[in-house]
Amino acid sequence: MNSYYAANLLIYAGVDIIALLALNLQFGLSGIVNFSFIVFQSIGAYTAAVLSLPPDTANGGFQIYFGGYQLPFPIPWIGGAVAGGLLAIPVGLVVLRKLRSDYQAIALLVLSIITNEVITNARPLLNGAAGLALVPPPFSDQIDPNTQSYQFLYVGITAVCVVLVFVLASRVVNSPYGRSLRAMREREIAAIAIGKNPVQLKMTVFILGGIIAGLSGAILVGFIQLWAPSVWLYPETIILFAAIIVGGRGNNIGAILGALLVPVGFEELTRFIPTTIGPPGLIPALQWVAIGLLIIGFLWFRPDGVRPEPRRVFEGAPVIEDVDRARRS
Amino acid sequence: MLAAAEAPVAERPLLIASDIHRHFEGLHAVDGVSIDVPAGKITGLIGPNGAGKSTLLAVLAGTLPASSGTSVFDGRDVTHSPAYMRARSGLVRTFQLPSEFARLTVLENLLVAAPDNRGDSLFGALMGKRYWIGDERRLVEEARALLKRFGMSAKESDYAGNMSGGQKRLIEIMRALMLRPRLLLLDEPMSGVHPTIVLEIQHYLQDLRAEGLTILMVEHELHMVERLCDSVVVMAQGRVIGRGTMASLRRQREIVDAYLVG
Repeated sequence: MNSYYAANLLIYAGVDIIALLALNLQFGLSGIVNFSFIVFQSIGAYTAAVLSLPPDTANGGFQIYFGGYQLPFPIPWIGGAVAGGLLAIPVGLVVLRKLRSDYQAIALLVLSIITNEVITNARPLLNGAAGLALVPPPFSDQIDPNTQSYQFLYVGITAVCVVLVFVLASRVVNSPYGRSLRAMREREIAAIAIGKNPVQLKMTVFILGGIIAGLSGAILVGFIQLWAPSVWLYPETIILFAAIIVGGRGNNIGAILGALLVPVGFEELTRFIPTTIGPPGLIPALQWVAIGLLIIGFLWFRPDGVRPEPRRVFEGAPVIEDVDRARRS
Repeated sequence: MLAAAEAPVAERPLLIASDIHRHFEGLHAVDGVSIDVPAGKITGLIGPNGAGKSTLLAVLAGTLPASSGTSVFDGRDVTHSPAYMRARSGLVRTFQLPSEFARLTVLENLLVAAPDNRGDSLFGALMGKRYWIGDERRLVEEARALLKRFGMSAKESDYAGNMSGGQKRLIEIMRALMLRPRLLLLDEPMSGVHPTIVLEIQHYLQDLRAEGLTILMVEHELHMVERLCDSVVVMAQGRVIGRGTMASLRRQREIVDAYLVG
């Protein structure tokens, strides 16, 4: 295993962890089935790309896009996070206010498909299906991105972001505010009856999740240096949902485990299967079958995931023997 | 009117609902109901199944919008205020069916309803535990006192979803009380509850009345209504067909025919 591969793996893990912490706030904690999650990661990536790229005439005009501001780090990353949050406002206002939660899921899935189609076909916007390439990595004017030390610098910055997002997400999950979100997830009508405003709660967590998702996209595009519609097709969201279900809904540690087990672990492991088996495309197709089986298997046998949401016992509580029984009944 | 004649002079209505209509695609569930809920009293709302009692309660709480009519709570027109705002202003309801937050513990079910916790906002949450732990500790004490009063202290760390039907009722009443309501709308608080607990709830409601809380409750158990309620409103087919004390209502032939048979 060379160091580039190691750095690559660590950065993907970091990006997936950040994304899953965001999805856990939305889905695990608050019950919002955001099937357009990948769009929020993507707008972060595109925004970071156009903020750090030079104008599209710079490279002989082989790709066309708006913007191209050549802004230094960390502005593209902040811009990516802000873009994710801003996108969440109109989407949330349309989808989260009136629709029932199952229709919300459908609407968001459709949004994901439409957005991808539009970006693919409206080439002048973000270079269409070919996507954006040669996105300058952070500090690339000062350090050569192809050196080992740069790779590990990038891993370091990613790690800082992971820690930051983890601390923020944990504060939300473990606070009285997180409790209100869980109450809304459990039974919205009863939450309203005790004075909770579900639209406000959902909008806040949707925007917060959008910001974090945008940041994850910005981090990823800075490293892989390209972003195209083929990397953010709607099934990518399904992989992230699989990770949350496997890891444990509503548990941040579960989200991290899910990131390591599903998008990172699962995809890396299948890389080692010889591609000579069967017709071309068989292995990637089987990957999707396996993801589907993974989701069904966990929902069937272990619906709370590897690390279930913890039961909150308060200081000074009477000691009880029969804890955690019949949760699924 | 009899109820008014028997009531103390100083009483004033805390909630005044006028000409409330609620239609469901042609079905007139509530059909022009006007009702005053006197402050500091327990008012019963009785009637046969399908009379529109629960619908009226839902309209008064804002859970269902009224098709027409007005509601004034404590001198303020709340006709167009959403349910969560009414709850925050002290007009709190419970539900006919168990409505616990299943995967929150019993204690958390109570804590989540407390209105004044600094950690119950995104800002407060992001500030970290030190910012809100003081409020949390105070509310835990408050919630534990309620649990003790209702004999559920041993269950505080259990998931509310694992409780029995009667215990879920108690959780809901305690949860409503954590909001420090001024008017409690109770939808059959005794249904499915063990008789000994029924008695406890009864005593507790009487204590709450003595402390100044106003209650409007839907209840089918007429002996309970007789013991507990200062006045009673009878509904049938979406309308109010009588009001007064239980004793006075028993003397009215058409009400006995409609509902109080036996």
